[in-house]
Amino acid sequence: MTSPDDSRRNYVVLTISLVGAAVFIYAGIDKIRDPLQFADSIAAFAILPAVFINLLALALPPFEIACGLLLLPPATRPVGALAVAVISLVFFTALAFALLRGLTLDCGCFGTGAPSRPRMWLELALDAVLFSGALFVYLRSIKRLPARAVNTTQSRYD
Amino acid sequence: MTSAVSNVTASASRLPQSRGLGRQILRDLGGLALLAIASLVVGLVMNRLSAAPLPIVYQTPEQRFDAELTTLVAAPPFKISPAATVGLEEFRLAVASKGVLIFDARPSAFFENGHVPGALNLARDDFAQDYRRLAGVLQPAHDKPIIVYCSGGDCHDSRLVANALLSLGFSNVRVFSGGWEAWSAAGLPASTGSEQ
Repeated sequence: MTSPDDSRRNYVVLTISLVGAAVFIYAGIDKIRDPLQFADSIAAFAILPAVFINLLALALPPFEIACGLLLLPPATRPVGALAVAVISLVFFTALAFALLRGLTLDCGCFGTGAPSRPRMWLELALDAVLFSGALFVYLRSIKRLPARAVNTTQSRYD
Repeated sequence: MTSAVSNVTASASRLPQSRGLGRQILRDLGGLALLAIASLVVGLVMNRLSAAPLPIVYQTPEQRFDAELTTLVAAPPFKISPAATVGLEEFRLAVASKGVLIFDARPSAFFENGHVPGALNLARDDFAQDYRRLAGVLQPAHDKPIIVYCSGGDCHDSRLVANALLSLGFSNVRVFSGGWEAWSAAGLPASTGSEQ
């Protein structure tokens, strides 16, 4: 039987998954519409060599949309959550690196705009929130079965 | 006794449990790698079908602009040089005087959302097309003062467009480096929609 704590946690997982899915699907659709602009945003970070920039600009939008969609059904949620956690960590690292180097750029994460450092800080915070949420969902999804198995073994001896 | 048995059982079950978790994480990482490969394939196919596909190797805005510029005239190789700039006050007076041609170098969607009154859209993205569209205004203006702006901050579309105009024979071209950001932050009037 599900305890009230468990069902509360399930609601939290569902809410985070829905919010994460909405954010990633929106971000992916926004980037897919203008890959050239997104490639320019990636280039502004001055991290990747030219040969990888367009490939990343083409692959990332479908990847983000797929991440969002995978977060929705419980069966695919662990892969979706892991993908969101990994990609948010990559975005976070790239943005933090750019901020430390004193760059002012439009990261292109959630639509395009004028290059702005306050917006970079905001997007850095959003990436941290997305990473934490996705990691929580992932750990919660993969811990569920083994934890139950331990409880069943224990209760047999009590 | 009961708790001792539970502890032993829990420790014993921890090993297969952690092995199971490890296997699950590896499986999910494998799924993630497949997802990345599938996304790259989808991206490449969509690019192939697109009306304006990206080349496989990235070209900087300067390289793209140079290529576009050569479609207009046999211009000398395009180089970025420090363009003369104007401050907000001088730009405001120039706009008020109506004796200066003002060009907005941002993409048309940004221009339509809000621009400096009287400005014309000469977007860096569609320079060749906009240049031809504005030929009637530009042809008699080779010696007229021109000021170009873009978003502001570190945007360099205005510098690219200003340098392109200089290399096309316009003699008095400057850049308002504060751009749209400084203009709107100062609460100065704005127009919306396409050019009047």
